[in-house]
Amino acid sequence: MDYETLKLVWWLLIGVLLVGFAIMDGHDMGMGVLLPFVGKNDLERRAVINTVAPHWDGNQVWFITAGGAIFAAWPLVYATAFSGFYWAMMAALWALFFRPVGFDYRSKIQNPTWRSTWDWGLFIGGAVPPIIFGVAFGNLLLGVPFHFNDFLMSTYTGSFWALLNPFALLAGVVSLGMITTQGANYLMMRTEGDIYRRVRTASLLFSVLTFVTFALAGWWVATGIDGYAITSAIDPGGLPDPQNKTVAVATGAWMHNYAQYGWAMWVPITAFAALAASILFSRLHRAGVAFWSSSLACAGIIGTAGVSMFPFIMPSSSDPRSSLTVYDAASSHLTLGLMFGATVIFMPLIIFYTSWAYKVMWGKVTTEYIAANDKSVY
Amino acid sequence: MLTEELVDLSRLQFAATALYHFLFVPLTLGLAFILVIMELTYVITDRPIYKDMTRFWGKLFGINFALGVTTGITMEFQFGTNWAYYSHYVGDIFGAPLAIEGLMAFFLESTFIGLFFFGWDRLNKWQHFMVTVLMAVGSNLSALWILIANGWMQDPVGAEFSFVTMRMEMTDFWAIVFNPTAQAKFVHTVSAGYVTASLFVLGISSYYLLKGRDLGFARRSFRIAAGFGFASALSVIVLGDESGYTVSESQQAKMAAIEAMWKTEPAPAAFTLFALPNEAAQRNDYELQIPYMLGLIGTRSVSETLPGIREIKEKNRARIESGMLAVVALEKIRKNRDDWDARSQFDLHKADLGFGLLLKKYTVDVSQATPEMIQQAVDSTIPRVAPLFWSFRLMVALGFAFLLLFSLALFYSIKGNFIEKKWLLRWALWFIPMPWIAAELGWVVAEYGRQPWTIYGVLPTHISVSNLTPANIYGSLAGFIGFYTVLLIVEMYLMTKYARQGPASLGTGKYHGEKAPSPSPIHSGGALPAGAPANRI
Amino acid sequence: MWYFAWILGVTMAVLLASMSAMMCDARECALDDERKKLESSSS
Ligand code: HDD
Ligand code: HEM
Ligand code: HEM
Repeated sequence: MDYETLKLVWWLLIGVLLVGFAIMDGHDMGMGVLLPFVGKNDLERRAVINTVAPHWDGNQVWFITAGGAIFAAWPLVYATAFSGFYWAMMAALWALFFRPVGFDYRSKIQNPTWRSTWDWGLFIGGAVPPIIFGVAFGNLLLGVPFHFNDFLMSTYTGSFWALLNPFALLAGVVSLGMITTQGANYLMMRTEGDIYRRVRTASLLFSVLTFVTFALAGWWVATGIDGYAITSAIDPGGLPDPQNKTVAVATGAWMHNYAQYGWAMWVPITAFAALAASILFSRLHRAGVAFWSSSLACAGIIGTAGVSMFPFIMPSSSDPRSSLTVYDAASSHLTLGLMFGATVIFMPLIIFYTSWAYKVMWGKVTTEYIAANDKSVY
Repeated sequence: MLTEELVDLSRLQFAATALYHFLFVPLTLGLAFILVIMELTYVITDRPIYKDMTRFWGKLFGINFALGVTTGITMEFQFGTNWAYYSHYVGDIFGAPLAIEGLMAFFLESTFIGLFFFGWDRLNKWQHFMVTVLMAVGSNLSALWILIANGWMQDPVGAEFSFVTMRMEMTDFWAIVFNPTAQAKFVHTVSAGYVTASLFVLGISSYYLLKGRDLGFARRSFRIAAGFGFASALSVIVLGDESGYTVSESQQAKMAAIEAMWKTEPAPAAFTLFALPNEAAQRNDYELQIPYMLGLIGTRSVSETLPGIREIKEKNRARIESGMLAVVALEKIRKNRDDWDARSQFDLHKADLGFGLLLKKYTVDVSQATPEMIQQAVDSTIPRVAPLFWSFRLMVALGFAFLLLFSLALFYSIKGNFIEKKWLLRWALWFIPMPWIAAELGWVVAEYGRQPWTIYGVLPTHISVSNLTPANIYGSLAGFIGFYTVLLIVEMYLMTKYARQGPASLGTGKYHGEKAPSPSPIHSGGALPAGAPANRI
Repeated sequence: MWYFAWILGVTMAVLLASMSAMMCDARECALDDERKKLESSSS
């Protein structure tokens, strides 16, 4: 495959990994967000936790692999974004600490204070990361202040508090809403009785919230936010050299791709339609279809951010020509090709054995089951 | 500004979080295979006690595993957050094994660990055994890929610098995978993990035997640990020797520091068993040497010499002076890609670019480097001797102690009377922490001995860091220390609680401290037959 | 080829340890089990 194609393929693959993360880790993070509210006593909470107990770690690897893949495919993005968003990254990391320990240690001790502490730990581990990733996406759409020196060493000149601007916070709410909907729809499939009733209410509430905030954010991007556009000729198949272009800030530039390629409109349309379907099917008690709808919504929402910004990945607001794009942040031809090969081999395998693991563990988790297997479940 | 304070703090944070991660890693690597052994014996003999063993040691495995995952996430992201220039400069090579690790190893390990814990009632014996095997293979594959990445940092093969992209680019993937340094590192490190887990099982089983409880359970566990541990202790030594050999091939400065060889000695050199390295005078006080030994270990010949510190420094001085020209030429090229004079000058000195970058620690404008700065850079190419000398010797001494312990344990296992050898049981119990100490010391030798480089000979540590302020790192370091301390306390509490409780924690009603065998099948955990109604979890 | 040595070495070590356990079933552990059976039938 030629270099230009591989660069585009990797843009897609990183998108696929992020969507995979939202669908898979999303449903157990959403479980964490809902846990303190839909489980009214210890047995109920344990039933909720045990719907994801055998799977949360595998799901989390979508997140880890997305991180590794960004490192391998877009080293400059990994370096610049992660060090620039230093405190946001630390907060996400520390929130994630609560998950492995929360799942594994929570039920190993009887004490109620201990257990409810870890329930809130799982809540933090479920709620904080999606908010932060949403806020990060919001800031990417706005552009972030960084520049390179001659040796491509990056300096980030913004502050942590500047990340928390109104638009980015709205993006954070979209993301939280999307993840919580995903979690609620998953729980609808795996619980019954009172818990089922509560998560169904949550599903309706959060899918409406996501629908509304996503529409609001879209309107804001179209009318109130400056996008970026490359104004010099670029060589898509050339060696990545991020300072070798000129970039202009232009109002409405994030709408250019939709104007130029009509089919791109289908991405946000999918997001809205899928959210509507999630509302409809959870009203109809069709939990499985609702889950696949909200999964599709994750793809639509993340895809919308990607398509709007393409080919930009990380625009620089303080030095636009340093902006990182699909063409000039990529790794070498050999590395991209190799990683593509590895993904083609392993991704189907992963999907295969993950599905098998879910199939083996499938079924409703009831409080009676938890009581009967006190020592062997979480 | 990359101040020395910033660099030191970033290093401290990395070292603290990495060494902490490695408290949990070795036990995961080794215990996974011990679970395989126990379950294999279960499927062969069909005796329920082996299933109980798998489940009990699996419980301890799970407690450890949770923190392995927690601390691993930190590692995955810390390259980007704290080593941004490093990530840009070598991400093209380093990122690939890390991403493959996720795809090939973490997914495998993490998916099957769920089925390992929760799949007992839903899978038949053989299916469950395969799940355990895949989990063990997955965790060891993760060690493989991360150590290939780390091996490349020690011995950067298969890559080339490009001035357009201003980074190292991969030229030969298979050279990186089959890098002899990476191979030796992988087998030595996983063997260290097997030793750690074997001693863990051996020691805790000895505790039960000393207390005279759960004898059948403890006896079988002891035997398994003794057998597996003996093989592992042997291989950790053989492969440690191999690691030493690859070091003397690829990192002479590290070797000279480990051996406190201030000057080149005639072949075959003597091995210094004891000495007080004297950094100021550049010599050793109170030396005790074994003639010929080092020459044999380091070069596997009687005629080759190993260079001493003085000679290595002189070679490095020449490379720094040449590298200075490379940096100056590169700066010109970055300003004007068509400066052909600079480009031909750069091509001449490209091989020493990394050595030129060492000067960036002392001056922004490398062309203005003074002779004093060059001298400082030359001196910095040798890691500090005393910590390496001692860490290495302690690790090796522990290695031989483990071999002795496991030899005796295996010997008395075969004779079948280990339960009467109280001194052996006590030794095993008190030795439980030692493999951790050896492994941490091993990393100190490997990583501290690589200084002043992050990528040996290519990228100095000083310019690898993210352009943050020291205040940022103080903050995050405080956060890590706080979180990690609390987590460690919680983990140790649970670990000791369950280890003391022993197999009774499974609630099968068959073990020490449980009331009568419970009549209700509900409490026997695994009593549901395979293929139980699918709607029960 | 150290990778290859690893595959072989681990397999052999696993078998060795498993055999050591089965030896226990055949010898001293069998005695334990007998004793336990006697105890529980007498109590
Ligand atoms: C020799 C082995 C070894 C070494 C040197 C490292 N790790 Fe590790 N890592 C493991 C061996 C391991 C393991 C045995 O596979 C762990 C430990 C406990 C566990 O749960 O899996 C693990 C867990 C683990 C996880 C969590 C995986 C999951 O969720 O299942 C991540 C993200 C990392 N590691 C990343 C790293 C990085 C970025 C390292 C380098 C700086 C690193 N590890 C060094
Ligand atoms: C879990 C395994 C590891 C342990 C226990 C470990 C240990 C250490 C230690 C002790 C240091 C401190 C050295 C010093 O500050 O003088 C260090 C530094 C460092 N190590 Fe490792 N290391 C591990 C894995 C890795 C890997 C796989 C990499 C690959 C990138 C790596 C890269 C670094 C870097 C970039 C530094 C900072 C620069 C330095 O001070 O050396 N380490 N590590
Ligand atoms: C006679 C015994 C031993 C010898 C000769 C030996 C030799 C070595 C050498 C030369 C290194 C440095 C490799 C490098 O710098 O790249 C090393 C590293 C290391 N050692 Fe040992 N070692 C021995 C025993 C042990 C034991 C008993 C353990 C733990 C239980 C252990 C754990 C480690 C670890 C974790 C590392 C770091 C990873 C690596 O670089 O391979 N070693 N060892």
